[in-house]
Amino acid sequence: MISKIYTELIKNGIFKENTIFKLALSLCPSIAVTNSLRNGFLMGVAVLFVQVTVNITISLIRNYINPAIRLPVFMLIISGWVTIADLSMAAFAPEAYKQMGLYIQLIVAFASILARAEMFASKNNVLPSLFDGLGMGLGFLFALSIISFFRETLGNGSVLGLKLINTKPLLIMILPAGGFFAVGLLMGIYNWINTRFNKL
Amino acid sequence: MQKSEMILQNMRDILKITLNLLIIYIIGGLIIAFVYSKTSPLIYKNKVESKKMALRKLLPEADSIEKTGSWKIHDKEADYYSAKKDGEIIGYIIESYGKGYSGYIEVLVSVDKEMKIKNISILSHTETPGLGDEITKDYFLKQFISKDTNHLITVKNTTDEYIQAISGATISSRAVTEDAVKSAIEFLKNKLKG
Repeated sequence: MISKIYTELIKNGIFKENTIFKLALSLCPSIAVTNSLRNGFLMGVAVLFVQVTVNITISLIRNYINPAIRLPVFMLIISGWVTIADLSMAAFAPEAYKQMGLYIQLIVAFASILARAEMFASKNNVLPSLFDGLGMGLGFLFALSIISFFRETLGNGSVLGLKLINTKPLLIMILPAGGFFAVGLLMGIYNWINTRFNKL
Repeated sequence: MQKSEMILQNMRDILKITLNLLIIYIIGGLIIAFVYSKTSPLIYKNKVESKKMALRKLLPEADSIEKTGSWKIHDKEADYYSAKKDGEIIGYIIESYGKGYSGYIEVLVSVDKEMKIKNISILSHTETPGLGDEITKDYFLKQFISKDTNHLITVKNTTDEYIQAISGATISSRAVTEDAVKSAIEFLKNKLKG
């Protein structure tokens, strides 16, 4: 019974309230860092981590925050976790940091994280917040992976840097403008499937 | 009477909220300060270590690499090193910066005694992921090997003689080739001549 609620929360984050395809939040990174599958995936992982830790922290201290100052406190918690993740990765995992360093600092400004803090974590207990963060983060990871897979195959003819074909069929797809096409098209397809089959 | 009570209540609220915010921010600040104090020495060590590794990788045949001096480019301090083998200078390594598309690109180049490039590596950059960051890829950096300053020119079509720019990242390619590497080697040339 209880575990059903949690799986429901995770499903909700991935499908019903997918940050990018359904809520249309954090579209900036979905365009800026999705020009290769590796970039999109790493960004998704970084967001997953920050989303979960921020959700947990906020649900833990939500009773000690005056509603009038909740937004600055949320911002502090988000930037705090991002800074901690950034510093500890640079110190303890310099190799991984070389790959992820570019992305982690960007997360401070993500609307999706602030939105979940405000809509969910500030009103719920720790465990549901944890699973909501997991669901939302996985949904973001899922959306970014699909977009970046789409863009990399079309724009660069490769998957994860491995060449499938030796040409660049649609170079525009890995340029910034291609991001708009990719996000728009995939969002349309996603919602078409959703209404057509009334699933997801 | 009622009005003054309301004002008092208001003041109390403001004070409470301010105190609340202050406490949370102090706690947050302390946590971050603690993490920073624990990690920053490690981060510094990692940086020094990775620079040493990078230097060694650039001229693996050298048995000692010593700092010879420093120079300035884009108002940044950069070092150059001379590499010796059995007490004899076999080449130089110079650090340089190029102004890229979205920030500075830090480059390390090694040259032999004839000022031809032996090896090159990008130490740090903030170029666009997926486009500008192709400057760190082998196929781009390989082009530099055994080029001299006269051939450090970026062109857009296929070339063996010059440096072919990465499609979609001409500014980043030019920053590495002409801004960073070329000026560094020209500086070395002038320095060693005089």
